[in-house]
Amino acid sequence: MDQSESTELVALVGRAQKGEERALHDLIVAYQNRVAGFVYAITGRSDSVEDITQQVFIKMVRAIDGLQAPAQFESWLFRLARNTCIDHLRRQKLRRIFTPFGPEHEAVPEPEGAVGTEELDALRHALGQLRPQDRALLALVQEGRSHAEIAEILNSSVAAVKARLHRAREQLRQHYQPNHET
Amino acid sequence: MPESSYVSIINRTMKPESPSWSLLNQHAASCLRPGFAGRVLRAARQSAETIPSLFSQFAVGVATAALCFGALAVLAMHQTASAAVASQPGWQEIASASNADPGLNP
Repeated sequence: MDQSESTELVALVGRAQKGEERALHDLIVAYQNRVAGFVYAITGRSDSVEDITQQVFIKMVRAIDGLQAPAQFESWLFRLARNTCIDHLRRQKLRRIFTPFGPEHEAVPEPEGAVGTEELDALRHALGQLRPQDRALLALVQEGRSHAEIAEILNSSVAAVKARLHRAREQLRQHYQPNHET
Repeated sequence: MPESSYVSIINRTMKPESPSWSLLNQHAASCLRPGFAGRVLRAARQSAETIPSLFSQFAVGVATAALCFGALAVLAMHQTASAAVASQPGWQEIASASNADPGLNP
């Protein structure tokens, strides 16, 4: 993001913090696709992308006035998104304790037309083999976050982020086979 | 950030799977129905109206604690009173026995 874009973003966040509905709307429109991509990378389910993305932005609307540094908006938003996805997966896991889910339910296919191409399917499959935390890490890198920003988002050190990222990339490469059969 | 620079970041950061990541993002974006931002703002407004304020949550907590404390106090008083009534004949028996015993009443 260049200097002018950054200044524009800070001004937009400032207006949103004052409760200006138009600014909130513009922020959502500007980030909805990126957050949706991030959510999909972590959850791997098309049918929950809109719901979780909506939850992320509702949290953003409620908490934006408490954001101390508007320049850090993107890091803050993706931290919200990451935490919302991890909470969603945790709740899902908890629900399964009380619901007699079998292995066949775990492999419920994506809805008709949800998976576009072989490449996308391969990436989804590879991401599905990783821990949600590692998926989030890779998705943050794809989002263009720096190692320092990721460390801040994950409450970790830069060295730890680099090591985890290296492992996650290796795992992803191992599982990533564009010609695999599902 | 314009989509072109977003794609270039993706290409730079993870070469082998880059086209797939780009497809993944496109697919995810297509999962959002038109009018998404408006729906989010409406939902945020509705939830703000239905979520009770911090003060009212605190007040409900205090009232619940007071009610529990009151119920415990009533129960304790009731149990103490009934225990006293139940043990009264026993005490009376001990008292009359000790009065009748010349060894205890010099």
